[in-house]
Amino acid sequence: MEHLIDIKSISKEEILDIINLAKNFKNGAKKSDVEKKTLALMFYENSTRTRCSFEIAAQKLGMNIINFDASHSSLSKGESLKDTIENLYFLGVDAVVIRHSLSGIINNVMRLVKYPVKFVNGGDGTHAHPSQALLDFYTMIEKIGSVENKKITIVGDVSHSRVAKSNISLLSKMGADIHLCAPTYLQFENFNAFNVTYHQNVKDAVKDANVVMVLRVQNERHEKSGYPDSSEYKRLYEIDSNLLKEYAAKDVILMHPGPANRNIEVSSELLDNQVGKTILEQAQNGVFVRMAILNTLLKGDSNAS
Amino acid sequence: MLLKNGKIVNPKNNFEGISDIRIKLGMIVEIGKNLKVEDGEELIDLTGKIITPGLVDIHCHLREPGFNAKETIKTGIASAINGGYTAICPMANTKPQVDNSTTLTYTISKAKEESEIGFHPICAVTKGLENEKIVNVSELLNNGAIAFSDDGKPVENMHLLREALKYINSHNAVIISHSEDSSLANSGVINEGKVSTRLGLKGIPNITESLAVARELEVVRSINGRYHFAHISTKRSIELIRQAKKDGLKVTAETAPHYFSLTEDDIVDYDAKYKVNPPLRTKEDLEAVIKGLQDGTLDVIATDHAPHTVAEKQSPIQNAPMGIAGFETALGLTLTNLVHTGKLTLMEAIRKLTYAPASILNIPNQGSIEIGKPANLTVIDLNEEWIVNAADFKSKCRISPFDKFKLKGKQKMTIIKGKIINIG
Repeated sequence: MEHLIDIKSISKEEILDIINLAKNFKNGAKKSDVEKKTLALMFYENSTRTRCSFEIAAQKLGMNIINFDASHSSLSKGESLKDTIENLYFLGVDAVVIRHSLSGIINNVMRLVKYPVKFVNGGDGTHAHPSQALLDFYTMIEKIGSVENKKITIVGDVSHSRVAKSNISLLSKMGADIHLCAPTYLQFENFNAFNVTYHQNVKDAVKDANVVMVLRVQNERHEKSGYPDSSEYKRLYEIDSNLLKEYAAKDVILMHPGPANRNIEVSSELLDNQVGKTILEQAQNGVFVRMAILNTLLKGDSNAS
Repeated sequence: MLLKNGKIVNPKNNFEGISDIRIKLGMIVEIGKNLKVEDGEELIDLTGKIITPGLVDIHCHLREPGFNAKETIKTGIASAINGGYTAICPMANTKPQVDNSTTLTYTISKAKEESEIGFHPICAVTKGLENEKIVNVSELLNNGAIAFSDDGKPVENMHLLREALKYINSHNAVIISHSEDSSLANSGVINEGKVSTRLGLKGIPNITESLAVARELEVVRSINGRYHFAHISTKRSIELIRQAKKDGLKVTAETAPHYFSLTEDDIVDYDAKYKVNPPLRTKEDLEAVIKGLQDGTLDVIATDHAPHTVAEKQSPIQNAPMGIAGFETALGLTLTNLVHTGKLTLMEAIRKLTYAPASILNIPNQGSIEIGKPANLTVIDLNEEWIVNAADFKSKCRISPFDKFKLKGKQKMTIIKGKIINIG
């Protein structure tokens, strides 16, 4: 694995290697191979958990971390992302984690950068969020053993979700039975893009599900034309204990990539009880999975600059 | 000058056969078999080559004035000649726009400094392409305008379009439509479909084009107008135009080589070199475009040469401008993807590149091989295999989705008023 851009570009074996390595880190059995290497976090879009998670992961691995402040960087002076990254490489940076609002920005910049810096996608537009999918998968197999033929239901703002797309991509490789549930205006533009089952009705979607993954409903979108109020969404799609108890599989696990809108896509009461605790464990696993990602990408030669 | 032993393909009289052409003072003076070379006459042996009327492009963007970093009249003309074109009709969306006689005259005189290529600007329909006031049609025609179009932007006010079409038609000129519903286009990046969903790019739905075609056809029908559709790319648009032609409407239509050569599936790596408006569509649309070319629904192959700087085309696909440099690959793509595949006869393909566009816009002295007319000709090697190298384009836009494509069939000479420009 040279870079981590999207799930499509990595093999099933590479995914399982990362999961196993993350498990070893979680058990305390594995030491860092990447001490003193330098990671730059380039976040052009707000993020709390992904950014903190990468930062803590890098710290645990004994790496140097540059927290690149995008709003005060020379990008605001018009420097291109390519030039910024090439400069960082010559300052000794081995890898960059990029979070950006434009889908495909990393594919674009990788084509232009001439030096062997490693790229990690920290979430690009509505395209991909591969480290999130890997940590979600880790959490699922930790809880339910395997995802093969398990019913995994994703509910919420599917159309704008890079998390949903990376999860679909990963879970498809692992043989899961994937279901999506969203109102028409939050559904994918094209139903043939992925091999999944679509639902309008949340009860059908959740019925016998082993995993229910709730996506953040991006409230700001409901302010725009073409969308009803978010109360309309809550009325039809909010996930609460009763719904899970009545329809989902007995030991269903609840997941959410965060940050959650309490009492819109998921009830506050559900978040605060035992079922909701998986979401915090999900965040915790993120650190070990990201340690595994960084260790895998960066073991070997250092930046010679 | 005597062109010997070339095979003439002349769509105006459907003549296809080996014949010689004698040119004197830039004019064709004799066409016939076994013409004898006269004393002191230059002899050009074209054995094995095809001679066609000079290629005519009724849709291109030369960017000057205003956007000279993307292209200039000089580099645009050089690119056109390198593509085999002897006449071009640049669109009006420069800065200032070609909506007034001063700018129009400026571009024409600038072109004359460079070349004797047929240079026939298409002027704006509305001042500033702003959908408000109709340009001074009679004055612009008098100063060299060949047609009218707000291309780059649609005329979306149907009252305005109807009045403009009535008035422009009354001067025997045509409006060229950029058919697009901007509420549906909604700053989309590529065709709405599987690929846009997977890539997380905002889609441009198929009906963005056909909805505009449908309502514009109703306007044309209501006044029995004459109207030309630019860059048609969807199956449904073609069905609508086919029906309109059956109903006797005086409409014509063009497509561009990228719509019969590429689909949304070819877009890789978020590369903005594939970003064009209308966007690359689906395989089903591509097949409909070919069918439309075959049955005559689509009369013309135009380049929609729309150059941008390399830096602009390397920027993130969402921010990059739309457009493909088309002059230097249009003939090769047509011969490779339509003629050598048996989709179109050579005669029909050449018609759509020469006689049809020249007739639709009434371009003088172009589109046919005739005694007494200026020698505007293109010499083609139908079977030469070559690799597109965008770095060698004469256009400033040295980036292309066809870079490194292997094509079969190439322009070898562009002859403008009897003057030969050899092409490598």
